[in-house]
Amino acid sequence: MTVHDMKHADSDSARLEAVGGRLSRVDGPAKITGAAHYAVEQQLEGLTHAVLVGATIAAGKVTAIDSRAAQTAPGVLAVLTPDTIMELNGASDWLGNPPTQATYSPLVREVTFSGQHIAAVVAETFEQAVAAAALVKVWYDETPAIVDLSDRRAGDGIPIDAMTKEWGDAEAAFAEAPVRICTAYNTPREFQAAMEPHGLIARWQGDELTIWEPSQWLDGMARTYAEWFGVPFENVRLVSPYIGGGFGSKALALAHSAVAAAAAKMLNRPVKLVLNRPQNFTSYGGRAATRQTVAIGADREGRIQSIVHRGVNETAVDGMWVEPLGSVTSIMYATPNFSSKQNVVRVNTVVPGAKRAPGENPSAFGIECAIDELAHELGIDPLEMRLINYAEQDPHAKKPWSTRQLREAFAAGAEAFGWAKRSPAPRSMRDGHQLIGWGVAAGTYPVRRAYGEAVVKILADGSVEVESSSIDMGQGTYTILAQTAAETLGVPVEQVSVKLGDSHFARAGVTGGSRLAGVMTGAVHKAAGQALDELIGLALSDPASPFHGLQANTLHVRDGRIASPRGEGPELSIAAFMRAVGRDHIEARGDTVPANFTPEQRYNNYTTIATAIPHTEGDYSRHSWCAHFVEVHVDEDFGTVRVSRVVSALDSGRLYNPKLAESQWKGGIIMGIGQALLEEGIVDRRHGRIVNGNLADYMLPTNADIPDIRTISVGIPDPHSSALGGKGVGELGIVGVAPAIANAVFHATGKRVRDLPITLEKLI
Amino acid sequence: MNDQVTTSPTTLSLHLTINGRDHALEIEPRVTLLDALRDRLHLTGTKKGCDQGQCGACTVHVDGERVLACLTLAAQVEGRSITTIEGLADQDGTLNAVQAAFLEQDAFQCGYCTPGQIMSAVACIREGHAGSDEEIREYMAGNLCRCGAYPHIVAAVRQAAQELRS
Repeated sequence: MTVHDMKHADSDSARLEAVGGRLSRVDGPAKITGAAHYAVEQQLEGLTHAVLVGATIAAGKVTAIDSRAAQTAPGVLAVLTPDTIMELNGASDWLGNPPTQATYSPLVREVTFSGQHIAAVVAETFEQAVAAAALVKVWYDETPAIVDLSDRRAGDGIPIDAMTKEWGDAEAAFAEAPVRICTAYNTPREFQAAMEPHGLIARWQGDELTIWEPSQWLDGMARTYAEWFGVPFENVRLVSPYIGGGFGSKALALAHSAVAAAAAKMLNRPVKLVLNRPQNFTSYGGRAATRQTVAIGADREGRIQSIVHRGVNETAVDGMWVEPLGSVTSIMYATPNFSSKQNVVRVNTVVPGAKRAPGENPSAFGIECAIDELAHELGIDPLEMRLINYAEQDPHAKKPWSTRQLREAFAAGAEAFGWAKRSPAPRSMRDGHQLIGWGVAAGTYPVRRAYGEAVVKILADGSVEVESSSIDMGQGTYTILAQTAAETLGVPVEQVSVKLGDSHFARAGVTGGSRLAGVMTGAVHKAAGQALDELIGLALSDPASPFHGLQANTLHVRDGRIASPRGEGPELSIAAFMRAVGRDHIEARGDTVPANFTPEQRYNNYTTIATAIPHTEGDYSRHSWCAHFVEVHVDEDFGTVRVSRVVSALDSGRLYNPKLAESQWKGGIIMGIGQALLEEGIVDRRHGRIVNGNLADYMLPTNADIPDIRTISVGIPDPHSSALGGKGVGELGIVGVAPAIANAVFHATGKRVRDLPITLEKLI
Repeated sequence: MNDQVTTSPTTLSLHLTINGRDHALEIEPRVTLLDALRDRLHLTGTKKGCDQGQCGACTVHVDGERVLACLTLAAQVEGRSITTIEGLADQDGTLNAVQAAFLEQDAFQCGYCTPGQIMSAVACIREGHAGSDEEIREYMAGNLCRCGAYPHIVAAVRQAAQELRS
C-alpha cells in the first residue's frame, strides 16, 4: 500500500465500518447475551472430568503416593501418577529449539516448586473428581527450597550475555559526572489473573486429537501436542473461539494440558480439565520478580552523561525465563555512555512467563523513576527533564525512529492534564488530610512484526468470509479484520463474517507482543485484494458476465455493488453477478510470507517465533510510545493511595478501530494501577508456597479503585511498521503507569517508594 | 479427609425454574448452581472465574436479587425464580437496556466477566444504587474485570439507568 492509499483510507475513517472507524465489536452481541461459547464450554458426549493433585512442598522427592481410596471412590475412572501416566515425547520449545529430553512426564516425582502436578484423578463428574482428588495421599522427602530472590542462598545468578548492551565508557563517565544518582528498584512476582481460568477439553478419535483450549497461539500449541504424542501436526486440531483474557499466559501448551490429553488417550474418552483458581497461580508463570539498580550521571543542566544499569530476574530451578530489564533503559533517553547487564537467579518457582509487556514494563519502572529522581535532584521539572534528554534517534541501534510521537504525547498529555499548574515541591499540594501528587512517566513497546496468512471468500449471496487461526481475546481481532475486508472489497461490514480460533483455518503465529493486528490486517488486506482482483477479472472476462465486452480496464465495488468507474454499463450486486456467471464462491489465500520460504520455514513461521522480524531490521527502529500523567491522593494519616485522575497520550501509529484501541489502552493503564498499588505474589518462607493465590488475597483493581481515564491518540500512520500503518496497542498502555504513580506519590508525600506495590506501610 | 463424602452418594430430583422454564435434574446434593447451569443444563453464559465467591463472574438473579451461583447449591434454589444472562433479553431478542449500553460503551473486551457484570448492573440499577458514578463504582466493585473495562462499565450502567428512569 502506498502512502497515498493510506491517506485515502484515513479520510474514510468517519465511516464506521472502514478501517479507522469506531465500529462496535462484532462479537459483542454474542458476549452480552451468553451465546459466546468459550473453549471448555463445548458439550461432548461421554465427557469425563480430571482434577489435579499438586505438590505441597517446593523442593524434594515424592517418596510414595497412596491412591487406593481415590481409585475406589464413586465415579472414578483413573488415578494418574508419575508411575501410571503414559510416556510422552519431549517437545521443542517456542523458539523451535529441539527438546532437551527424549521423554516428558507432566506428573513428577522430583518436585521443584509448590503446586507442581503430582497426580490427576479422572471421574464421571466434576464433583466426584474433586472429592476423590482430596483422597490421594502423597509422602515426600522435603529438601530446603530457595523461596525467592531475597533468599540468602539464591546467590548472584547466571549472567545473560545476550542482554548486555554497552557503548562509550559508562562507568568512567558516571564517576566523572557532576550530578549522580544511583538507586535500586524492585518489582514482585505478579500474575496475569485472566478471568477465564486455564483449562481444556481433549478428545482423541483414532490418531486425531482435538483440543478445545483458550489459546493465544493455536499453531504453536498444536505443534507441541503433535510432538508430545508423535502424531503429524495436521492430526491436531485446536479450537479456541473466544478467550477469556490471556495477557501473555495462554500462548503455550502446559503440563496440565499434557495431563488432560494423555488421560483422554489412555481412557479413550474426552477429558475436561480446568485449573481451579489457586492452581492458576502455580501451574504457569506470572511475571518474574525483578531487581534493578539504575545509576545516572548528568551535567548541571540535566543532560545525561551516562547510564549504568544492572538487573536481575528470578527464574525456575528447571526452566529459563529472561525478563529483559534493559529494554527501555537503553532507548528512552539520549546518552553518550551506557551499560546494561542482567543476571537470572534460580528459585523454586514454576517457570515465570510473559505478562503484559514483559521486559518493557519493569524496565520502565526503573528508568522512569530514576529520571524523576534526577529531575528532583537538579530542581528541574520532570517533564522538562525528559525533553532535555529526548532521544532523536535510537541510542542503541543508532538508527532513526520510524515514527516517534513522544514529544507530541508529552505536549498533548500535559495540556489536557494541566501540568503547567503543578507546584514543584513535594507535599506542596493538598486537600484537607489528602496530600495530592502529580507524576509523569513515559512508556514504549517495540513493534514486533511477523509474516501472516488469511483466506478471504466471496460467497454466492455476496457475503464475505475471512478465515484465520489467529484469535480474539478481547483486543478486537474479529472486528478489525471485518473492517479490513469490508474496506478492501468495498462491501458493507455486516456482510463480512470473520472466523477465528480454529487451527484448521489459514495459519497464524502467536498473538503476543502486540503484533497480531499489524500482521493480520496486512494479511487480510492482501487476501481481500486478491479476491477483489479475481472478482473484477472474472467480471471483465467471463462471457456470461454482464460486464463482458464493456470497454473498461477495471471495475469498482462500492457498498457491495459492481460498476464501471465512469458509470457506463450495468451496476449490480455481487450476489447478482455471482448468479450471472454461475459461481458459488471466489476464494483467495493471501500471505505476506517471503516467496522464497521453504515449506519448513513456513511451518516454523507459524509454530515458532524463529522468523519474527527484529524491530530494528533495515533502516529504522520501530516502537510505540506513550506518556502518562497521574494524580494521586494520599491520606496523610493512613498512607492509603488512590489514583484520582489519569491522562495518557499514546502513539500506536494509525488506529484500526479507535473505540477498541482506547479500551485496550485503558485496560493496560488499569493493570498498571494494580501493579503500582496492589499486586504482589506473597511467598511463604517455610514452604515456598504462594499464600495469596486467589482473587481476593492477590488483589486486582476493582471498579471502585479506578477513576476516569482519558486517553489521547497522538499516532500517525507508520508505513515502516505495518501494511496499514499501525503500531502496537495492547502492551503499550501498561508501560510507564507504575513509575508515573510512584513519581506522583513522591510528589505528594516526599517519600520515594522503590519497591512495588506502594502499600500504606511503606508510606507511614 | 472424611471418606463418607465420596462413599455414600445420593442424588436429588430437583426442579429448577430458570429464565421462566422448568428444568428437571437428577444431581448430587453437592452440585452448585453454577455447575448445574454450566455442566448439566448447558447454560454456559454464566461463567466460572474463581469458584470461590471472589470474582462475581457467576452472578445470576434468584427472585430478582443478585447471587453468586458458585456459592449456591442447586438444591437451595428449588422453587425460586432464577434468571441468567440467557434470559435477560426479551423473547423477540430485544436487548435489555444494560446489554445494549454495554455494547455501545464497549464495556468489555474478552467478555468472560461480562455476563456477571451485566446481571450485577441490572440489579444495581433496580436496587437504586446507580445514582452517581461513585455509587456505581462501589456497587459494581464485586465484579472483577481483568481487561480493565471499569470506566466503560460505569458509563454503560449510568446510560442504562438514565434510559430506564426516563
